[in-house]
Amino acid sequence: MAPKKKEEPKPAAPAAPKPPEPERPKTPEFDPSSVTLEFTPEQIEDFKDAFQLFDRTPTNEMKITYGQCGDLIRALGQNPTNAEIMHVLGKPKPEDMQNKMLDFDQFLPIHQHICKAKNRGTFEDFVEGLRVFDKEGNGTVMGAELRHVLATLGEKMREDEVEQLMQNQEDANGCINYEAFVKYIMAS
Amino acid sequence: MGCGVSKSSQFNRNSRKAVTTIRAAILIQRWYRQYVARTEMRRRYTWHIFQSIEYSGEQAQIKLYNFLGYLMDNFTPSSSERNLISHIFREHEVCLDAEWERYFCYKNIEVPEVYSGPHLTFPLTVEQAVGLLEAFRNKKQLHSRYVLQLLLETWKLLRMFPNINRISTCQSKEITICGDLHGQLEDLLLIFYKNGVPSLERPYVFNGDFVDRGKDSIEILLILFSFLLVYPCDVYLNRGNHEDHLINLRYGFTKEVLTKYKIHGKRILKLLQKIFSWLPLATVIDQKVLVLHGGISDTTDLSVLPRVDRHNYISALRPPKKRNNSSAGVSVDTDTEDYVWNNSRIYQRRASFSCPKPLGPRDCFQNRSLQDFSGRIKVKMEDELERSRRRESLFQTAVNRSEKDLLSTSTSTDSISSDNAKEEWRLILDLLWSDPMNQDGCVPNEVRGGGCYWGPDVTEDFLSRHNMQLIIRSHECKQEGYEFCHNRKVLTLFSASNYYDVGSNRGAYVKLGPDLVPYVIQYQATSLTRELTARQSIGRTERSALKVLREQLFAHKSDLICAFKKFDPGNTGFLSLNNWASAVESVMHLNLPWRTLFSQLVSKSNNGMVDYHDWFNELAIKGTNTDHIEQSLLETLYRHRSTVETIFRIVDTDNSGFITVEDFRKTWKLLSVYLKMEITDEDISNLAVTIDSNHDGSIDIDEFMEAFRLTDKKSRLERGRSMFMVTTSDLTKMEGDPNV
Repeated sequence: MAPKKKEEPKPAAPAAPKPPEPERPKTPEFDPSSVTLEFTPEQIEDFKDAFQLFDRTPTNEMKITYGQCGDLIRALGQNPTNAEIMHVLGKPKPEDMQNKMLDFDQFLPIHQHICKAKNRGTFEDFVEGLRVFDKEGNGTVMGAELRHVLATLGEKMREDEVEQLMQNQEDANGCINYEAFVKYIMAS
Repeated sequence: MGCGVSKSSQFNRNSRKAVTTIRAAILIQRWYRQYVARTEMRRRYTWHIFQSIEYSGEQAQIKLYNFLGYLMDNFTPSSSERNLISHIFREHEVCLDAEWERYFCYKNIEVPEVYSGPHLTFPLTVEQAVGLLEAFRNKKQLHSRYVLQLLLETWKLLRMFPNINRISTCQSKEITICGDLHGQLEDLLLIFYKNGVPSLERPYVFNGDFVDRGKDSIEILLILFSFLLVYPCDVYLNRGNHEDHLINLRYGFTKEVLTKYKIHGKRILKLLQKIFSWLPLATVIDQKVLVLHGGISDTTDLSVLPRVDRHNYISALRPPKKRNNSSAGVSVDTDTEDYVWNNSRIYQRRASFSCPKPLGPRDCFQNRSLQDFSGRIKVKMEDELERSRRRESLFQTAVNRSEKDLLSTSTSTDSISSDNAKEEWRLILDLLWSDPMNQDGCVPNEVRGGGCYWGPDVTEDFLSRHNMQLIIRSHECKQEGYEFCHNRKVLTLFSASNYYDVGSNRGAYVKLGPDLVPYVIQYQATSLTRELTARQSIGRTERSALKVLREQLFAHKSDLICAFKKFDPGNTGFLSLNNWASAVESVMHLNLPWRTLFSQLVSKSNNGMVDYHDWFNELAIKGTNTDHIEQSLLETLYRHRSTVETIFRIVDTDNSGFITVEDFRKTWKLLSVYLKMEITDEDISNLAVTIDSNHDGSIDIDEFMEAFRLTDKKSRLERGRSMFMVTTSDLTKMEGDPNV
C-alpha cells in the first residue's frame, strides 16, 4: 500500500497556537491607530526613561531607530519573536532598520500590542520543549544538540549568541539539566 | 502495508516532534533576546553614571583652578594665603637652563647595592628599553637616579620637536596609533604583546593621557620615553589634557609619584611638568590624517599652531579672561567667581600683580614696565582683573622676546599681544579638551569645563580647509574602545580597557597603512575579565557604578531632603516615584534615568511611595568615627572630597605628603570661601582631632582623607536577580539589529 503522503509542515508555520508564530502572508498589516492604549501614566513615565536611554539622536529628540524598537520592547520586559517585531513595524526593509525612526508616540501602540499578546511562554512550555531532546529521560539534554538547534532552527541565533547563553551551563559530560537551565533563563 | 502505515505514523510523530522542537527553540531564542536587551539597558545606564561623575569631576577641577587664579590676582604679594598657592602659578619662571640642570642633577644620587631593578646607561639602546618593559612587567621600580636621567634626556629631545609631528607611511610602513592609557600598564603590555614593540619598522603614535587614574602612570611614561629616545623618528607622543600637573593633583599621578619616590618625587614631578609642556600637540600622517588628543573647534587653524610657544603652557588651564559667554571655547566659571566678587570683604582689591618677581637679568626691566601699567589702574574690579591677566600674558611673551621688542611693543601692541595670547590659549585648550557632538555647530564644552563641542559641519570645514580626510582623537572612553562619528571622518580611540571597572569597556588601537584606512584592533586586559563568567562581569560594573552613585546621593543629603520637602508640602514623609525622581535630578544634575534606577537605589516602597527619611538610612553609607564633626560640614566634606584633597596637595609645597597644622588652618579658611560654608576655629580643631597625627605640628594628608572615605555598609546588589545576568565582553551593539 502506498503510504499516504502527508503534507510536510513547514518549520516556520506549525499549526500549534501557543508561542507567537510568525504571521502568514495573508494576515492584515498592523494598524497602530487600532490599538487602544491601556498603560497607566506611571508606566508611561517608565517607558519614557527607557526610551531616552536608547535615544541616540543629537539633540535628544526622543526618537529611536526601527532597529532599536525590538530591543527596547524587550528591555521593558516583553519577549516577542523577531517576526512579531517585524509585523508591528510594518515589515520594514533591512535598510529601514537603521534609517527609519520612531518617536515615543509611535512607539506606544507598538509596545501595547506586544504587551497584549498573551503568549510569553511558561515554565512548562519550556520544559516540554526541551524534553524533546532528553533522549534518556533523565532530566538532561546534550549541550551540543541544544546549541545546534538554537543555531539552526526557529529564529536562529548566531554562534556567539549561543555561546553566551550556554556559557557555563554544561557539566563535565556536556550535559545540561534543563529544568535548571529554564529557571536560569527565565530569571532575567 | 504495515510498513507504510508505521512509516506514516512515524512521520507524524516526527513532524510533531519537529514542531515541538522548533517551538522550544523559538521560545528559548525569544527569552535570550529579551535578556540581551535588558542587559544592554543596564550597561547603558551604568555607563552614564560613570561618565557623568567623571566629567563633573573634571569640571570641578577647572572651577577650582579658576577660583585659585582669582585669588592669586587679588592678593598682595605678602599675603600668607597667597604663598600657599602661588607656586602652582609659577608658569613663567625665568631660570636659566643651567640652573635647571643643576636642580635636576641626578649624579649625586647613589644607587644602593640592594637595588634589583634595571640599570640604565645612556645613550639608551633598544635592549635596555625592552629590559625596562620586562622589569615593569615583573613589578620592579626604576631607581630615581635613572628616572631623572631618563627624563632629562627626554626633556632635551622634546625641546627639539615642533608643535606638530609630521610622519609618513612611505616604505609601506604601517603606523600604530594608541589612545588614552591612563596609567594602565597591563593595556600597554597587551598592545606590545599583540602588535610588537616600537621599532624602525613599526612606528607608533601615542595620543595623550598616559597618566592619572591607573596605578602605573610613571612606568608607562618611562616606557614611552625610553622608546622615544631609542627611536626618535618612530615614536610620536601627543600631549593630552592629563599631561598637566594641575589635573594630576586631583587624579592621582602626583600622589603616585610621591608615593613611589619619596625622596626625589618632588624633583621628578617638576621635571615632568616641563616635559609635559614640551610634548607636541598633534601629529599629522601623510598630510591627510590628523591625530590629536581632544579635538578641534571652529577656530582651529593648523597654520597658526606651529608658531605657538607650546612650552609656555605648563598647564592648559590658564585663568580665564573676562567672562564672555558667547565666544566658543572659552572656559567659563560662573558661581564661584560671582560669589567671591560679591562678597569681597575678605579679599580687598589691590593693585597686585599676578607674577612673583622673576629671577635673572630681566628683573629690573620687568618691574619698570609693570610699574608703567600700575599708574593706569582703574578702580573697577573686572577691569583690574583683565589688566592683571594682560600683564601676565604680556610678561609671558616677554620672556621669550628681546628687551627691545618688548619696549617697542609694550604700549602700542598691548591689546594685540594679549589677544594673541588669548587665541593661543584657546587653541591649545580646544586641542586638548574638546569633544565631538552630533549636531552642527560649535559650543563651549560646559560639561568638562574646557574646550568645546564641535559638530560634523565643523569637521567638514576643517578637513576641506586643511585638505585632510580623517581626524583620530581620544579623550573619551568608548565601550568598544573606539567609535566613528561625523560620517566616519572622526575616530575616537581609547586604549585603557576596563576603565571604569572590570568589564566596563574594551580598549583599541589602530593600524594605518599607506591607504590611510584605519584598521581597528580591540582587546580587553586582565585575566580577571576572562575568569569572570559573562554573568558576573556586567553585574560587577553595575554594582560599582551604583555604589559610586549612592555615595554621591548621600553626600547631597541636606539638599535632597530640602528638595523632597518641596514636593511634600504636607510633610507626610512620603513621595511618589515621579516626585522622587524629579527631586533627585533637580539636586544632582547628572541627567540619569532615575526611574529606571529606582529599584536599584530604593528597596522599600509602599504602593510606589518612598519614605525618604528612611531611604537615607537604607543607603547606609558611613564614614569612620566622625561623630564629633558637625553634620553639614561633614556632608560638604564628602561632597567635595576630591577638591579638599587637591587643595591640600597644592598647599603641600614641598610635596612631602604632610602639611603643617598652621597651613591646615589656613587651608580651611580658603576652603570655607570656595565651598561657601561657615567654618569656625572649633570646627577646624575637631577636624584635626580626626587625624591620628604621629608628628608634632604636621598632618598626614593621606590619613586625613582616609578618615573621610565613605564605606558601603551593606552590599546592595547581592540579590538573586543580578547574579543571573549573563553577558560576555563580546556582546555586540544592539543597534543594527543583528536578528534581522
